[in-house]
Amino acid sequence: MAEVLLSRIQKRFGAVPVIHGLDLHIHDGEFVALVGPSGCGKSTLLRMIAGLEAVTHGRIHIGGRDVTDLDPKDRDIAMVFQNYALYPHMTVAANMGFSLEHRGRPKSEIAERVRWAADVLGLAPLLERYPRQLSGGQRQRVAMGRAIVRDPQVFLFDEPLSNLDAKLRIVMRGEIKGLHQRLKTTTVYVTHDQVEAMTMADRIVVLNAGRVEQVGSPLELFDRPANQFVAGFIGSPAMNFIAGRCTSEGLAAAGALLPLSPPHRLLEGREALCGIRPEHFEICGAGDGVAAQVLLVEPLGSETQLSLRLGETPVIALFHERLGVAPGDALHVRPKPGAVHLFDPATGVRMDAEQAVA
Amino acid sequence: MNSEMSARRKVALYGLLCVLLVPFVFPTWWMVTSSLKPISDIFVFPPQLFPAHPDWSTYRQVFTVQPFAQQYWNSAWIAAVVTAATLAISSMAGYAFARIRFPGANALFIVVLTGLLIPSEVTIVPLFRMFLKLGWVNTHWPLVLIPVFGAPSVFATFVMRQFFIALPQELEEAARVDGLGRVKIFRTIALPLARPALASVAIFTFLHSWNLYLEPIVFLSTPSKFTLPQALTQYTDAYGGPMWNIQLAAATLTALPVLIVFVLAQKQFVEGLAHTGLKG
Repeated sequence: MAEVLLSRIQKRFGAVPVIHGLDLHIHDGEFVALVGPSGCGKSTLLRMIAGLEAVTHGRIHIGGRDVTDLDPKDRDIAMVFQNYALYPHMTVAANMGFSLEHRGRPKSEIAERVRWAADVLGLAPLLERYPRQLSGGQRQRVAMGRAIVRDPQVFLFDEPLSNLDAKLRIVMRGEIKGLHQRLKTTTVYVTHDQVEAMTMADRIVVLNAGRVEQVGSPLELFDRPANQFVAGFIGSPAMNFIAGRCTSEGLAAAGALLPLSPPHRLLEGREALCGIRPEHFEICGAGDGVAAQVLLVEPLGSETQLSLRLGETPVIALFHERLGVAPGDALHVRPKPGAVHLFDPATGVRMDAEQAVA
Repeated sequence: MNSEMSARRKVALYGLLCVLLVPFVFPTWWMVTSSLKPISDIFVFPPQLFPAHPDWSTYRQVFTVQPFAQQYWNSAWIAAVVTAATLAISSMAGYAFARIRFPGANALFIVVLTGLLIPSEVTIVPLFRMFLKLGWVNTHWPLVLIPVFGAPSVFATFVMRQFFIALPQELEEAARVDGLGRVKIFRTIALPLARPALASVAIFTFLHSWNLYLEPIVFLSTPSKFTLPQALTQYTDAYGGPMWNIQLAAATLTALPVLIVFVLAQKQFVEGLAHTGLKG
């Protein structure tokens, strides 16, 4: 187990910068998710931690050691790849024990470690099979088994669930999280799926175009996104954004007046981008909220997702109940108290009441 | 109605295939059957599909007219050595071109590939002069070194490079994380997975060496050192006329290993072609 320290990490491919001076401290035993859209640099960052990509500038420390210039084999890390990267010509047992065998460990020790890892992951009946004889989920578990057999200081996961179907992804999420709780090994997990990040990580690092947008616990990112990008990335369905101007009565936004909490009214006169999560709308009476027209009704069983038009702005609203509405119906909605986020329309940065002081 | 048409179409298709098969199968059939006929019956028209009285003594005479057993061995060991050496060199060179980034790699590969553009007839004279200076004329060294460092090896390198390019990078990255260096990754990961490509290269190289004709007739002058393609031209009588039946018996014996290798390894042959992206 070890902490991972990234100091002023920069990466360029030729003249193209992909990581721009990134600092990150991952604590011992922590599960940190690197999340962001495709091309944001999360896999590149993970590969630099692994030693598979050179660092253009900056230093990487693992367990107090500067590993920036060390080969992957000298960093005491283990990696689980997106497409498993199992050796096709070796059995499951041989795959799992390969690194120990290469390091000259005794056969008895290798067998014991492989057996232990196989028991942890439920792979004991599959040890003599070849990767081509396994399902996707089994292959993923073998890839994890190959990593845990080595008892490394840090686990690195590069989108390990991307190739699995939705149902299996949910199962494997739980298994990975359970493994982390059991082994308590420092884990860095790359994913483009914010649901995976939210459910598994102790902290989430949101990356965009090679820069860190925000670092925090899942609920911190959900409740107080630092900017519009984080607000729109975290949460499913995505946050609604409504442009308008703060007035003493609320946010005037293209034909509607959205109620604002008293602290936000201190931003009177400022242009703002109002963020409201779909699940933070509530239906109210005509006098309280904003008039909305139902465009689309999507029943999800225990929830109902509505596409609404607020004034001239289309929004998505999610209600944890069944609603007897149809497209074309009119209703009134309002944001739940404290559920409104304001962002500077020019910079996307979160606007708090403290910023009302001009 | 559909099944009737399908059956009719099938009959027509198979009939057409049989007709198309004739020009491919007939020469081999004619070679084998004529090796059992007297010379006077070989060129009769219409051709006899079956020998009237098969004469198996031609196969015995193959070995008495020339040192055919020795020549067979010459072809066999040269082909084996050339194949083994080509596999070793082309697999390493192909892996290096596919996986190792070094300055000038692409330019060097193009230079290597140009070796395929130059016909052997163009280089045979300078090569003869070179081996003459080395004192290696009328030895088997040119028959080994020219294919190993010439066009067959270039083609083999190309085939192996294409295969290794297609190998997922993640396999080697996983091996790097597991602690392996470049050489061990090549030996324990890349090479075992390259069996289809290696089989394809082995077949191509073996066939090329087995059928080599220009280099033997240029470099070899002693019958006991001849290889089979060269030896086949030596079955003449005292007046210089060809002894067709004995020559065709020798040709049948020459073609036999090739047929066997292809029948046994055709699956790898096709797989190897597929892996290189070459449509045969």
